Amino acid sequence: MISMRHLRWGFCQIAVGALLTCLLLAPLTKAAPTDFSQEEIDFFESKIRPALIKHCYVCHSSRADEIQGELRLDSQAGWQAGGVSGPVIVPGRPEESLFIAAIRPAVGVANMPPKQKLPAAVVEDFEAWVRLGAPDPRTASAAHPNNDLGEDVASTHWAFQPPQVTPVPSMPGQTWSTTDLDRYVLSRLEGKGVQPAEIADRATLMRRLYFDLVGLPPTFEAIQDFVGNDAPDAYLQLVNILLESPQFGERWARHWMDVARFADTRGYVFTAERKYTDAFKYRDWLIQAFNADLPYDRFLKLQMAADRLVEATDAEQLAAMGFLTLGRRFLNNMHDIIDDRIDVVTRGTMALTVSCSRCHDHKYDPIPTADYYALYGVFASSHEPNNAPAPLRLVDAQVVNVGVFVRGNPGNRGAAVPRRFLSLLAGPKATPFRDGSGRLEMAEAIVNPQNPLTARVLVNRVWGHLFGAGLVTTPSDFGVRSDAPAQPEALDYLALQFVQEGWSVKQLIRRIVLSSVYRQRSDEGSPAQQIDPGNRFFWRMNRRRKDFEAMRDGILAVAGNLDKTIGGPSVNIVGKDYAPRRTLYGFIDRQNLPGIFRTFDFAGPDTHAPKRHETTVPQQALFLLNSPFAMQQAEVLGNRVKTPDDMTTIDNLYRAVLGRSPDAAERQLAGAFLDKARARDARPSIPQSPWKFGYGGLNEEENGIREFAELPYWNGEAWQGGEKIPDPKLGWLNLRAAGGHPGAGPTRAAMRRWTAYCEGKIVIQGALVHSEKRGDGVRGRIVSSRHGVLGDWSVHDRRQVTAVTRLRVEVGDTIDFVVDSRTSTDYDSHLWKVDISGHFHGVRRTWNSQKGFHGPLPPQLQPVVRLAQVLLLSNEFQFVD
Amino acid sequence: MSQLTLNTQWAGTSSRREWLCRSGAGFGSMALQTMLGDEVVAEATQPLAPKQPHFVPQAKHVIHIFLNGGPSHVDTFDPKPELTKYGGRPLPMANLKTERPTGVGLASPFRFKRYGESGLEVSELFSKTAKFADEMCIIRSMHADVPNHEPSLLLMNCGEARLVRPSVGAWMTYGLGTENQNLPAFIAMCPGGYPIQESQNWQAGFLPGVYQGTHVDTQHTEIEKLIENIRNQRVTTAQQGDQLELLRELNRRHQEQRPTDAKLEARIQSFELAFRMQREAAEAFDVSREPQYTLDLYGAGTQARQILIARRLVERGVRYIQVWHGAGQPWDSHDDLEKNHRRLAGQCDQAIAALLSDLKQRGLLDETLVMWGGEFGRTPTVELPKKGANQGRINGRDHNNHGFTVWLAGGGVQGGLVYGATDDFGFRAEENRVHVHDLHATLLHLMGFDHERFTYRYAGRDFRLTDVHGRVVRDLIA
Repeated sequence: MISMRHLRWGFCQIAVGALLTCLLLAPLTKAAPTDFSQEEIDFFESKIRPALIKHCYVCHSSRADEIQGELRLDSQAGWQAGGVSGPVIVPGRPEESLFIAAIRPAVGVANMPPKQKLPAAVVEDFEAWVRLGAPDPRTASAAHPNNDLGEDVASTHWAFQPPQVTPVPSMPGQTWSTTDLDRYVLSRLEGKGVQPAEIADRATLMRRLYFDLVGLPPTFEAIQDFVGNDAPDAYLQLVNILLESPQFGERWARHWMDVARFADTRGYVFTAERKYTDAFKYRDWLIQAFNADLPYDRFLKLQMAADRLVEATDAEQLAAMGFLTLGRRFLNNMHDIIDDRIDVVTRGTMALTVSCSRCHDHKYDPIPTADYYALYGVFASSHEPNNAPAPLRLVDAQVVNVGVFVRGNPGNRGAAVPRRFLSLLAGPKATPFRDGSGRLEMAEAIVNPQNPLTARVLVNRVWGHLFGAGLVTTPSDFGVRSDAPAQPEALDYLALQFVQEGWSVKQLIRRIVLSSVYRQRSDEGSPAQQIDPGNRFFWRMNRRRKDFEAMRDGILAVAGNLDKTIGGPSVNIVGKDYAPRRTLYGFIDRQNLPGIFRTFDFAGPDTHAPKRHETTVPQQALFLLNSPFAMQQAEVLGNRVKTPDDMTTIDNLYRAVLGRSPDAAERQLAGAFLDKARARDARPSIPQSPWKFGYGGLNEEENGIREFAELPYWNGEAWQGGEKIPDPKLGWLNLRAAGGHPGAGPTRAAMRRWTAYCEGKIVIQGALVHSEKRGDGVRGRIVSSRHGVLGDWSVHDRRQVTAVTRLRVEVGDTIDFVVDSRTSTDYDSHLWKVDISGHFHGVRRTWNSQKGFHGPLPPQLQPVVRLAQVLLLSNEFQFVD
Repeated sequence: MSQLTLNTQWAGTSSRREWLCRSGAGFGSMALQTMLGDEVVAEATQPLAPKQPHFVPQAKHVIHIFLNGGPSHVDTFDPKPELTKYGGRPLPMANLKTERPTGVGLASPFRFKRYGESGLEVSELFSKTAKFADEMCIIRSMHADVPNHEPSLLLMNCGEARLVRPSVGAWMTYGLGTENQNLPAFIAMCPGGYPIQESQNWQAGFLPGVYQGTHVDTQHTEIEKLIENIRNQRVTTAQQGDQLELLRELNRRHQEQRPTDAKLEARIQSFELAFRMQREAAEAFDVSREPQYTLDLYGAGTQARQILIARRLVERGVRYIQVWHGAGQPWDSHDDLEKNHRRLAGQCDQAIAALLSDLKQRGLLDETLVMWGGEFGRTPTVELPKKGANQGRINGRDHNNHGFTVWLAGGGVQGGLVYGATDDFGFRAEENRVHVHDLHATLLHLMGFDHERFTYRYAGRDFRLTDVHGRVVRDLIA
């Protein structure tokens, strides 16, 4: 094994082929501590370290689930401290060393390893090693830092070693695998005794590819074309079309926005400006970068140091630095702002949790506090120029090296740490950064092909998006406490190919989606379920629920409402007045993120988000059932596909929403739903509201209502004759929640109407109040459509109780509360609040005129619209097989 | 549990589902235990199913009455006769540094009296609440880190003054789930909008978004303005019932080919929960369903209404409830303290007393921890005028993080107890000091958690509510 970090950090442009050679053939150049000779160290490295790793580490190192006997053998400090039985190695004296006694077949000592004897040659090597004085370079003074527990994880943990080339396994006699990637995966699966799933059918693959590559559902017609395409490369053609579509950039930009904790606001501010008005320029840059397949190394470098790589006037490219500058601002606390930037860079690009080292050395990973402050200095030496044409950028400022903040306290500083890269990767003698702040050097160190993390981390993120789970389950923590990749050969193969192919994200995606692993079915049922129920080894595709964006975009798309405009400023996507744009353009207020985002597991925009949570809660269902968005989209969809023939309508709906035709049983179910819905709508039912608001007059002779017309205009608080009051026709006539004002003359009385929706007995209570000395007051009457006038009161500057007792009503009967102006129409504002209560089929109910007051009611959803909504709610629409 | 009866009222559920819902766990978690045995998936499909903490908890619910802005302890629950003596004179100690300069001692204008068998002293501002002195555990030695609203609010609510961390309520619902799937698990009521620091006070931080508090603006009474998407004006309940019936059938057919995917079943369940939630949430927030004598007990006004709602929510199994006094920082009496504190206390004293009485009578006080307090207290000294800082009336108090009062009642705390003390003037906590982290450790303990073992792994670290701090104040526990 070769430790890349000890190779010189080169800026030489190593050709990829040469790089691979270098990876494979470069000689070991571990620097020996002065105490031991080179021969001794070579002996340790060639014989002892491999034997320890092979035979002992499983129980006695950081990779053990539980350290056995509290003994660690993965560092010098570990065996020096010993375990529960005390120190286990006495240097120079194998016969006194418990360790040697344990590995020799002996009586009276627990034999190690417990289940298998070591080969005699290995035992001899260990004895020789102890006799030599147990030379062990795995100390803190060695060529790389240990973690806070004194463990030499830097040279043992998989992620810190360079990706390995494994020969492609030969898989004679099987037809499932079609690519080298498949053969790596299949080899592991066979080792586990697991059979991979069959290749999915074309329609399933098409929905999957659309979801993964562009985040939108395919149309029925497109699916038909693909299913019927006989060309041998039909699938490849489809992949290429999607990779080249502009929606690809939108989908993948959003993935990166999770990494970059993108938001349109600064977080909490007291009274200062909260918005980042230019945040969208970073999003636009991302979309463009993914669509242009900007090489990932360049992609990262621009985000960290575009100020050094492009012209100072190139605002479009400088927007890349929004990656650093669009974080939360912590009321302008510079330490926290820098911490956030260190975090987004190190977790985002290398899956290293460097922020853990803010207050003390990293407990598990080899990241000393000094490393944190070496990077801190880089950001402290950068600043955001004001009033710049390129508002998102950082530029180099006065260079400062920062002392370690002891226990994170800025008031207690240790010696200044030079700005430099992480010692885990650059070695303890890492050359200090010399070029301005060092941001560009930092970026170059991150994308250096010898960095064992960067390519793997990106490959794992891409894999995670394409499979719903990463090869490494913690996409932003590749430290020693992360689980090793389930398919390490596949991860390393893809990482090496990725670098070799010029860091092309599109080519990486193409390579993965063309594989059989990706094209598997998602069924759980096979015997493999017993062996690997969590599908850690990818013996099938994971079925995935659409994320928030794909869910919302999908609904807009199938409804035919999606505005496909690409780029531009953020828009509102919540509430009633939402823009029908793709969800990634939604305005993100990180301080008060609207509930809908949280409800659908959107990535928290406060800090870098490694992956989305996936939860199922009823608020998600409430949104899809009741939100203005869901209903309006269902309405547009339903009205678009509606035909006079139910079966045609149903076919249209299925094709539009699910991209397929319904089968006979589904047609029948949907048809029955429509029949039932129409029958239900035809029956009298509880109306949305029993109240209507109008005007008219009484037929005095017949003791009843002569006419009733609903008031035409709603001003947000009151019903009235028109936008302006007095209205040319109806004058001051208006009705409000608690009362109103009549118009002039007997035919312009204000009328509040209640309609009975079922038979019963009611009583009416309430009071008519007129509080004005001037004028002549108003006259109020309660009129039943069945029984005529029930009460008649004239009220002037006083309160009048208006009660009606025990009245029988039938379905459709109306009760009108009629107020006219008497002789004078001046000073006729009044209050009239009433309660109608009664028993209806044994249930007591009360209607209050004030509570029941309302503006125009939205129209009821028609049966076809309700059916359309059901399809949008269905699991088939919301999950991708 | 009240949802037992409520859930059965919906005739549309199959008996199996009904049983599963009533058992509180729902299908998702059960399916997983039997089919996959995978806790991680259960976490995702039923994130709010009831869960067991580390040990048997004393409290099951929390009602946190948050007097945001900072109520003055020396005017409410921490009487200081020495301060009265020094009213109008410099204190015989240096004034501690607070946000703004303060001057001479400002004697409390309010009378204190002893209440209950325990004889706890409480000022006239909370004379009604004080009738429950024997239920109250008054911590007079609270202290926080800085005298500013923003960091102190975050410290009190999230255990960290600046960085993004989950709130106490989010931790509780993450650890315990909730007993009623038809209502949000963590509800933060605040009339008129947001307090300072806004929804960060009930944030989920790095925990899944479902553990975030649901903000309810109790200035409104219409349910559709309280909870988003809870009501549909364009379909009737019966029409929606028909839709869900068809949806069930379509999903059942879809599931036939995918029988062991718990996520599919969980989503099916979520629609049934949502259907019931529409009615149950409307009911829970509708205090007009209370009998008149209960309404009279709590009194009139927004505070009374939201505190009564808090009881209705506890009754229905909601885990964590915050009752904020109002938008902004209402208790921040930099001037006209006497007038403002009297007005503010007048808005909530009766309702808090009613809450304690009501919970006790219903047998809910034992399992409900009621917590009263602000983000800090106020100085015993008068705030001096400063340009733009107060209106130069010189009759108010500045923020005080050095010493303040929080009281607890019910939920396994010892009643009739005063714990800790500030100095003679109420400036600084001196005896048995209790830091906010200690309060959090104690809260977690009462809810069944060892605060040092209750962790969430994020960004390479196992995070705790109490970070590396906190000790359980065992003397408070009954």
